Amino acid sequence: MVEVSVRNVKKSFGATEVLRGVDVLVPAGGFAVLVGPSGCGKSTLLRLLAGLEEVSAGTIHFGEREVTHLEPRERDIAMVFQSYALYPHLSVRDNLAFGLRLRKTDDAVIRQRVDEVAGMLGLGALLDRLPKALSGGQRQRVAMGRAIVRRPALFLFDEPLSNLDAALRAQVRVDIRRLHDQLGATSVYVTHDQVEAMTLADVMFVLNRGVVEQAGAPLTVYDAPATRFVAGFLGSPAMNFVQGVIEASGDQLRVRVGVGDESLPIPAGEFTSPALIPGLRVDVGVRPHDLVLAPPGAAAFELSVDYVELLGPEIQAHGALAGAPIVAALETQSNARKGDRIPLSVKRLQLFDAESGRSLR
Amino acid sequence: MTASPPPPPPSATTCPQGQVDPRRTSCPQARATSHAPRRRAPPPRPAPFALLALAFALLLPAGVRADDAVIHLWHAYRGVEEEALAAILDAHRRAGGPRVELLALPYDAFGSKLGAAIPLGEGPDLYIDSHERLGDYQKRGIVAPVADAFEGPAAFFANTIEAVSLGGAPWALPLSQKCVALYINLDLVDAPPATLEGISVLRDSLPPGAFPLVYESQSAYAHAALLGAFGGALLGPGDSFGFVGEPAERSLDLARALIDQRLVPADADGALVTNLFRAGKAAYAISGPWLAADLALAPDLHYRVAPLPAVEAAGGAPMRPLLTVEAVMLSPQGAQRAEVRALARHLASASAAQIRQDRARTLSARADVALPPGDDLLAAFAAQAAVAIPMPSSPAMRATWEPAQRALKKVLRGEASPRDATEGAQRRFDDVRRPPPPAASPTPLLILLGLLSLAGAFALVRRARSGELLPELRRSLPAYRYTAHAVVIVGLLVIAPLLVGAATSLFAGRPQDGLYVGLANFVEILTARGGPLLASGSFYVVLLVTLLWTLTNVIFHLAIGVSLGALLSRPTMRLRGLYRVLLIIPWAVPNYVTALAWKGMFHRQYGAVTGLIEGLNHLFGFNLEPIAWFSRFSTAFAANCATNIWLGFPFMMVVTLGALTGVPADVLEAAEVDGASRWQRLWRVTLPIIRPTLAPAVTLGAIWTFNMFNVVFLVSGGEPDGTTDILVSEAYRWAFTRDAQYGYAAAYAVLIFLMLFAITRLGELRSARRAARDRAAAAQAGAPGGVR
Repeated sequence: MVEVSVRNVKKSFGATEVLRGVDVLVPAGGFAVLVGPSGCGKSTLLRLLAGLEEVSAGTIHFGEREVTHLEPRERDIAMVFQSYALYPHLSVRDNLAFGLRLRKTDDAVIRQRVDEVAGMLGLGALLDRLPKALSGGQRQRVAMGRAIVRRPALFLFDEPLSNLDAALRAQVRVDIRRLHDQLGATSVYVTHDQVEAMTLADVMFVLNRGVVEQAGAPLTVYDAPATRFVAGFLGSPAMNFVQGVIEASGDQLRVRVGVGDESLPIPAGEFTSPALIPGLRVDVGVRPHDLVLAPPGAAAFELSVDYVELLGPEIQAHGALAGAPIVAALETQSNARKGDRIPLSVKRLQLFDAESGRSLR
Repeated sequence: MTASPPPPPPSATTCPQGQVDPRRTSCPQARATSHAPRRRAPPPRPAPFALLALAFALLLPAGVRADDAVIHLWHAYRGVEEEALAAILDAHRRAGGPRVELLALPYDAFGSKLGAAIPLGEGPDLYIDSHERLGDYQKRGIVAPVADAFEGPAAFFANTIEAVSLGGAPWALPLSQKCVALYINLDLVDAPPATLEGISVLRDSLPPGAFPLVYESQSAYAHAALLGAFGGALLGPGDSFGFVGEPAERSLDLARALIDQRLVPADADGALVTNLFRAGKAAYAISGPWLAADLALAPDLHYRVAPLPAVEAAGGAPMRPLLTVEAVMLSPQGAQRAEVRALARHLASASAAQIRQDRARTLSARADVALPPGDDLLAAFAAQAAVAIPMPSSPAMRATWEPAQRALKKVLRGEASPRDATEGAQRRFDDVRRPPPPAASPTPLLILLGLLSLAGAFALVRRARSGELLPELRRSLPAYRYTAHAVVIVGLLVIAPLLVGAATSLFAGRPQDGLYVGLANFVEILTARGGPLLASGSFYVVLLVTLLWTLTNVIFHLAIGVSLGALLSRPTMRLRGLYRVLLIIPWAVPNYVTALAWKGMFHRQYGAVTGLIEGLNHLFGFNLEPIAWFSRFSTAFAANCATNIWLGFPFMMVVTLGALTGVPADVLEAAEVDGASRWQRLWRVTLPIIRPTLAPAVTLGAIWTFNMFNVVFLVSGGEPDGTTDILVSEAYRWAFTRDAQYGYAAAYAVLIFLMLFAITRLGELRSARRAARDRAAAAQAGAPGGVR
């Protein structure tokens, strides 16, 4: 179990700068998730941690030890690949034992550890099979087993669930977290799936265009996104955004949206940025679940519903406000229908500087 | 009918180690001059192909024979000689002779074409060929006595008559004669030496690097002139081996002494003789009229020709070279037609000889044709021909070359005394000339064939009676239409020759000789003809050499090919494309070209390797001796291997490059993370993954190497003493340089086929088993094996 510390790491492939100064700190034994859209640099960062790529600048420390320029085998890590990368010519048993054999581990120890891991992952009946005789889920477990059996200080996961079907994915996600808790080693996990990120992470790093937009515990990031990008990336359905302008109303600030005189109150004390002054152009963000049916008279605005999705537990009502599309997640009982005008109040909103995209919190 | 032309007299045009045909080899100087004797080495065309050619010939429209008044004449002339022939025929036609249709054939194919065509009545009425093939033609019944076409012996030089006579009667009409003589470089010396030994006075007076004399010292053909001075001959009376006994030993002693005293270069071939003399690096050269044609390209050189000198050690007797006579021969059909005999008579007449002499500068066989005044060259050759010994035309002659040549080389290399070498050669000759195995009854074979066809017929009838055969045939008819041409072609080009070859192995000599011997050839091969099983040249020793050869090559092919493939597949390497192309070049060059280039590099005196050694000596003051690569098994074998490795590694490299694309990058990264070093990744991940792809390539490579005739034949040529021969080159020798033992050679071929077939079948079985295992495993994958 080691602390992982990435300091101001940059990485370029030719003229393309993929990582533009990234800092990541994962406490020893923590489960960190690197999340972001395709091309944000998360996989590259993982490969830098593994030693499969060389950093262009910056340092990487595992605990006290600097590993920036060490070979992968000198870093005491294990990695689970998206494609599993099992050795096609070796049986499951030999796949599991491969790393130990390279380290000249005693045969008895190898046998014992392989059996232990096979038991842990339910691979006992498969030990003599070749990878091509395994199903996708089985291969995934072998790949996990191959990582676990070496008892490394750091686990690296590169989108390990993306080749599984949805049901299996949910189950393996839980298994991975359990295993992590059981083994206690530090884990760094790359995914583009926000559900995995939210559910697995102790600490989450949201990457965009080669920089960390925000780091923190998943709920913190979810509740208090630092940028408009993070706010929009996390949450399903995605956050609604409406352009607005700050205006003063007595001693209270409000944000006026759209062309009419609809305006929303800004809760006092929540947005303390000194930039928040009347006249500032902002993006107002409201999560669909923070829009609720308002009692008559108390509505912040009315949404004219042009489409309804019935999901069972909830209804997603689509409409528009000031030209921006709006989705509201309502209780099924609300019975919203296409063509309705429904009064909504806002439980909670986010404000972002329209120029910089930074939160005004 | 498979006829191969007669012996391969390693004439002056022959390349160093013997039977190599200069047309296909490194003696370009020997080519394409009207004076050069048309090449003698037999075509490497085994019986099956001749049969196949015959099959095609039979399919051709047979209208060519329609006009009986026409006379068909076959010849192998080119250039001025062909023009001279046309002029002679013109004259004959103007004098009221019948129309003559000419057919020019390559010299190499002459014998086999005659043998295939004449028995079917499709051959020529008369043809012009070298006299030394007469014995073979007579044996095969494709030549008839000349009868009244012969003017009588008086008109011809006596030894030309002797050349064309069989059993005391002439069987052909001599036209022209050729032999070697002494060329004198007038820039270095002004007169021929009084005796051969007299050239030693030149040793110190010549410019550095020049030799007093050059000739093909390792060629039995050239050595025959020296042997003649001592009264010996290559073929003795009664078709016995002649290169044995006192004359042979003394001639060898002398040849050895000439080389030891550095009066003569040790291993000069025809090309080197030409080059050294043309470059002014030799005071004298022994060569034939063809050298004069090459010297025409070097107008600055002043030379003349004289008869060969006398030999002091032989009591002052003159050197007597072998004489080759071009002669006109009659086919049995042609001999029955008076106008054909008249044409033959005309071709051998004095007027025709005059035309040939005027137009083509050939040396006539007639005594009554005056030499052109002032033509010293022709006069010198005429004087030489007068004392030359006609090459024996007995079929036994062809069996003398290989043993004589090997004995000669052994002595010149100092590996054996003349006595041991010649006696060994005699044993070899006797072994080759041993009587054929007793005729066997073909009954067992016929019974077997009968039973097989009976069983086949029975199976057919049973299927026909089951009522399914006809409907099935009808249903399959469209399929047959698509495959029929392929079946016919494969049948004709692959299956038929294979069967003919296999059938040939049951006969002694040629199958058409009709001596069926059953499995006797196989028994003889597998029992080493009664000698010790591990004697040099026995099947088992050659097999061992072949296996060693195959193993060595395949290991190096794999090691070099895989290493380069792995290197070239690294995406970070610069100029990868360029290297890839460069490294494939050895494979793209025809392999005999490469083989000849490498052979040249290994030449002891003038090869690149020797040049390298001299360069090292010069640069670093080393004292390395040039290596005589082909005088020891180890170095000759190494030279062969080096050539073949050079030829073979690109194939493995290309296969490896292809196979490596099937190795997933992330698996290698997984191994890297798992702790594998670069070497471990290659050894424990990459190689095991590409192994299934490489395996068939290795099998193919092994088969190619096992049968790599070109390299062995052209580089070492079996040197020293046949020890580096592999099974195919050994089989070739039995068929084409050892008394035409086609049946015996075919038995070798059948054994090679069976061995390779067994090996491939084993490999196929193994991969089939593996495939079955994989299928079983894949089936398992569907079944639940774990929790999920």
